Amino acid sequence: MRSAWKFFASVKLAIVLFIILTLASVLGTLIPQGRSAAEYAARYGSLSGLFMGLRLTGLYQSAWYLAILLLFALNTVVCTISRLAPKWRRAFGPAPETNAKAVSSMRASSRFRLPLPLSAARDRVAERLRSRRYRLDESAQGGSIVLLARKRRLGWFGSDVVHAGLLVILAGGFISGIGGRSSDLSLAEGQTVDVPHAAFQVRLDKFETEYYPQGAVKDWKSTATVLEGGAPVLTRIIEVNHPMTYKGFSFYQTSYGWNWADARLVLEVRKPNDPSFLRTISLKAGERAPVEGADVTHVLVRAFVPDFVIGEGGRIQSRSEEPNNPAAQVEAWKGEERVFSSWIFAKYPDFGQGHGDDPMAGAKPGAKAEAPKLAIILKSYSAAPYSVLEAAKDPGVNLIWIGCLLVSCGFFLAFYWPPREVRVVLEETQGRVELAAGGQAWKNREAFQSEFDSLFESIRRPG
Amino acid sequence: MTESTLFTLAFVLYVCALLVYSVALFAAREKWLKVGFILAAAGFLSHTAALIARTVTSGHAPFTNMYESLSFLSWAIVLALIVFGRSSRVPRLGAILMLIVVGLVALASSPLMPKGATPLVPALQSYWLWLHVSVTLLGEAFFCIAFVSSLLYLGADSVEKKERLDALSYRAVAVGFPLFTLGGLVFGMVWAYRAWGRYWSWDPKEVWSLITWFVFALYLHTRIVMGWKGKRSAIIAIVGFLAALFTYFGVNYLLSGLHSYA
Repeated sequence: MRSAWKFFASVKLAIVLFIILTLASVLGTLIPQGRSAAEYAARYGSLSGLFMGLRLTGLYQSAWYLAILLLFALNTVVCTISRLAPKWRRAFGPAPETNAKAVSSMRASSRFRLPLPLSAARDRVAERLRSRRYRLDESAQGGSIVLLARKRRLGWFGSDVVHAGLLVILAGGFISGIGGRSSDLSLAEGQTVDVPHAAFQVRLDKFETEYYPQGAVKDWKSTATVLEGGAPVLTRIIEVNHPMTYKGFSFYQTSYGWNWADARLVLEVRKPNDPSFLRTISLKAGERAPVEGADVTHVLVRAFVPDFVIGEGGRIQSRSEEPNNPAAQVEAWKGEERVFSSWIFAKYPDFGQGHGDDPMAGAKPGAKAEAPKLAIILKSYSAAPYSVLEAAKDPGVNLIWIGCLLVSCGFFLAFYWPPREVRVVLEETQGRVELAAGGQAWKNREAFQSEFDSLFESIRRPG
Repeated sequence: MTESTLFTLAFVLYVCALLVYSVALFAAREKWLKVGFILAAAGFLSHTAALIARTVTSGHAPFTNMYESLSFLSWAIVLALIVFGRSSRVPRLGAILMLIVVGLVALASSPLMPKGATPLVPALQSYWLWLHVSVTLLGEAFFCIAFVSSLLYLGADSVEKKERLDALSYRAVAVGFPLFTLGGLVFGMVWAYRAWGRYWSWDPKEVWSLITWFVFALYLHTRIVMGWKGKRSAIIAIVGFLAALFTYFGVNYLLSGLHSYA
């Protein structure tokens, strides 16, 4: 037990752990974290099994990384406690045995006589020290009075406060890791969903995307209402950087999109050789709609993509969820005969007015169809937007903030609140008082020296 | 005057300060040091005005892309030099720091860095942008002072100079470390929690700021508890600054993650 204590009380252990943690953390930034086994196999070949076995691919959540953090926490606790007692005595303990000779050998010192009785001299010294915010401890030692004056005593404990803060942060981190819950809620306007792990629901009332004049996204705003037992209890506008919180859950704006699978399209059917012919049809992907007039009986939309791209193997897919290049695969039929089939593009209405059965015909640049009888234009498209809100519960987060506060205060104390100590020995000889004083500061010694000098100058020559 | 005029003026003044500090290495020191300091301070004023002008025209904090943050970092280094350099009386410190500042400003002005003020993406629209970035970069500026004085320590020939540089390096870490902790880690966590719902995501930039923090924590522990001074301390401070530099710059270009802004 004692040897374990000694082991953890060692600063050398702390230094070794600092170095191990640093190197391990570096390693975790060199190996991408949390990817799929296939991706690692492609990247590292035969090494990928080893990397995954050693959990280098989820390094910061691995048992061995957490074990090092735990060792580090133990080390911090033991180091801090084992160094606390001497500091405590130094800051709050009683005045130690001392004498005129000993105080005169301190870093700052002063020695002179005061033409006053002992009690009056003591009062003057005490008053001067108090006016400089020193706390006094007085003791009588063999006919002389010893005054121990200390200030900024909390400065002794700066590093301890930092250590306590770090332990609180680590504890918060563990609690977040164990008890944290998070899930993404995809919500269309008007939709209500149950919040996982909670006894309430969230409804999306309204979702807007705001744009800058140049076209970039300025903001996403989700107006959301919390419902408990069917009754609305809270309505807030959620934006990035402005989450809504309710009963320990926070709701963040994380993503957005459109329900393209259910997009409503408006098509215009024209005949190039008959300018008066125009039919406007509204339908969804997968639906067919009748067209009045000669040459064609109905049109149907086989597919719709918001961001048309020809992927691997000539497969048509959507590059993104953004409506950058909306396209529909459209067919026109005359009874049992297909008279038109092509991909048509909302942004390029002249493109792809092809005939035939090859769906690629229209997509190939330069592929011109001969005298088309029919032209179909994708006039407009619309899909219900949805907002993705992340519902997160993090029971460790308050500990994190308390820890951060402690660390910040501790740094202030450690670096900018250095303790100062003055010792004064007063001895009465032949109706006069011999004063010997010594002082010490643990940082910023020049400033202390000047305070010390002016302090004792004012005691020697008051007024 | 417009932002670019003020920025150019600052650059010219920094170059002059660099030249004068370089002269001070060889000639009558005190006088030239004073002139160098005044030039650097004048450049600093002009640079400050440029940053204010940029903020007014763009309507957001002047560190949202690489050009802006390089400009702000060089401004912070000059500020650190003004805070520390005058009392340090080390001519080489001024010369090397001004060399770094001129290099950073030149890099910021190079065609590699797009200068246009772009509107802020939603994630950056927060007052935490001000607190997180400015305090972190200020901390890194003081790490830069520790770095330069540690380098000079390794090259110094007299005991007296070495002592002065060692003390200066420690003082710079004593300012930089709390600032970096507060701005980089604490404010960063608060902002991440507000914006992403998680205070810590083990994103490469986060991990590298933690690594930087570990290195400077090592510096303080070896120095205060184990009494390491001089050469070993200097080497740790140099490694720490390089880690901070990688956090700031390298992570963006070499590793991918959430911090894909600047």
